[in-house]
Amino acid sequence: MTQRKRLSNTQSSTQNREEDDDTTFTQPSTSQVQRGLEKVTPAQVDQKTAEVVQYFLVKDQKKMPVRRADIVKHVVKEYRNIYPEIMKRAAHTFDQVFGLKLVEIDAKSHTYILINKLETTDGASPISSPANPKMGLLFVILSVIFMKEGVVKENVIWNTLKKLRVDPGKKHEDFGDVKKVVTDEFVRQRYLEYVRIPHTEPVEHEFRWGQRAEIEVSKARILEFMGELHGLEPQSWSQQYREAHPASNTQPGTSSQR
Amino acid sequence: MKRARSGGDEEAPRQNGTAGGRRGEQQQQSDGDNGGCDFGPADLQDDDNDPGLRREIRSKYRDLINSVQQNREDMLSPSNNKLTEVLEEANKLFKDVRQAREAALDAQLLVVATDLGKEKATQLFAEGNTFDPTAFAEHLLSFMGLNRLEDGEDEQQNGDVVDGYLPKDAWHRLARRAECCFRTAPSFHYMMGSFHAEPPPPKQRIERQRKAPSKEAKRIMPTQLKKMEDSQQEATEKEVERILGYLKSYYQDDPTSPISYYEFVIDPSSFSRTVENIFHTSFLIRDGLARMYLDNAKLPCIAPVEEGEVEAGGSQSRKQCIVSFSPKIWKELIDAFDITDTMIHPPNTQTE
Repeated sequence: MTQRKRLSNTQSSTQNREEDDDTTFTQPSTSQVQRGLEKVTPAQVDQKTAEVVQYFLVKDQKKMPVRRADIVKHVVKEYRNIYPEIMKRAAHTFDQVFGLKLVEIDAKSHTYILINKLETTDGASPISSPANPKMGLLFVILSVIFMKEGVVKENVIWNTLKKLRVDPGKKHEDFGDVKKVVTDEFVRQRYLEYVRIPHTEPVEHEFRWGQRAEIEVSKARILEFMGELHGLEPQSWSQQYREAHPASNTQPGTSSQR
Repeated sequence: MKRARSGGDEEAPRQNGTAGGRRGEQQQQSDGDNGGCDFGPADLQDDDNDPGLRREIRSKYRDLINSVQQNREDMLSPSNNKLTEVLEEANKLFKDVRQAREAALDAQLLVVATDLGKEKATQLFAEGNTFDPTAFAEHLLSFMGLNRLEDGEDEQQNGDVVDGYLPKDAWHRLARRAECCFRTAPSFHYMMGSFHAEPPPPKQRIERQRKAPSKEAKRIMPTQLKKMEDSQQEATEKEVERILGYLKSYYQDDPTSPISYYEFVIDPSSFSRTVENIFHTSFLIRDGLARMYLDNAKLPCIAPVEEGEVEAGGSQSRKQCIVSFSPKIWKELIDAFDITDTMIHPPNTQTE
């Protein structure tokens, strides 16, 4: 079948290929799902659900988003006609068993990530688990972008990092190839977006928050920490404050971000 | 707004008009002294064509452009007038501009400077506090535990960075504090570790371990290896066959003379071989290929079973016999029967 052939020819998940894979799988309709469910035993559905859950958990170790095409190809396979039902149950399992939320961060390419359902503590966590220094680096970059209203030229980031003794041109003790971590790893994890600015010579890019950051990162908490660092109240940055607390905002035209 | 140039149509005719107009859009007054050099017509002619001077001007322009780009953050800070200073420098340079190349650089500098100027202006209009990444970086360094060194450090990495050293866990510290900003799902890992599909390294280790003992075994005694062979099933069968051969050949030599069992199995030079012979002979008895009987003196004898008489083990009435043997008995038998040589020779001529 050509469908199978195309799927088996794809290799790594480059952006270009994502759409190709996905077009071979069309989301079955509700009635199709119903009919499909009649043909399988509950045990089989449970088994597939469990496999999808496990697949996600392992994929999430590297914080790479999971594509629907991969789930269908590697896990769901012949049960693809009841795919929506399986996903629904998997999401329920994540919610009830693990306290995690399964979120589709890109409706077009059907990519999913897992985030924590629970609220975070104020300040540092009381549990002393080893912290990943890359999170510190990511925090710095995300904060600068946020405080600069969402878009920042790459030089701003590089200069700020240089002041923190992190030079993209040199190998860093904790991060290694800094440029790669920032422009490749964080981008693939969807924490950042690194976009070329058109008509620039030499080529320049700008940084924005990625899809994962939008739902996983709390702007309010960033502002809190910002206040602590500068010895100011978070409200001092009124524009950013409004963006971080949309509920309390009565002005029109502001973003409805988390 | 002061005009950038002091009179003279001979000066840079191609760059006329617009340049002066642009200069007038500066945000701040330029106090730079423009009246510096007055050229006479004679000087102008030389300088126009002097390639060294042209290069110098272009180089200075490039330096200015670079300084604006590299120190962008500093220039943005409302606390200094660095941008103004750059513009003043540019003003000075512009007076010497004669050719298109230099003017192009001047234009480029202006683009960069106005871009910066625009951002500075936005800062003025922004509500609340503006965000200064430089200050942010400073605060972060303090948070991360930077030990600022005091008193005359001769070497500084660059003028802007405060000298000092960051502790090893600086970024860990920051990461821990920043954790609460992220609602990251905790990573799932199997408690006992996950299956790691890399067989080669463990295999090599196993091979090395196997090689070591066998080498040692070779060093000790070759005969020990022989013993290993004997313990295998085929070796047993071979041995049994061999013993049958001996038995038959002895019997054929003299069919009337009974073969004493003890004489047959005992090897006077080795107790263990004797036991082995008893063991192998017992197979012959079991399979009905040999028979034991008592002679007139009530001593056990052994003889091969005739071809026609060979019957499968089941039909004969089963008689079991247990042979008890010890080195003492062995020695006694050797003396009693005066056994000087073994009837069943070991597979190799090597004696143990």
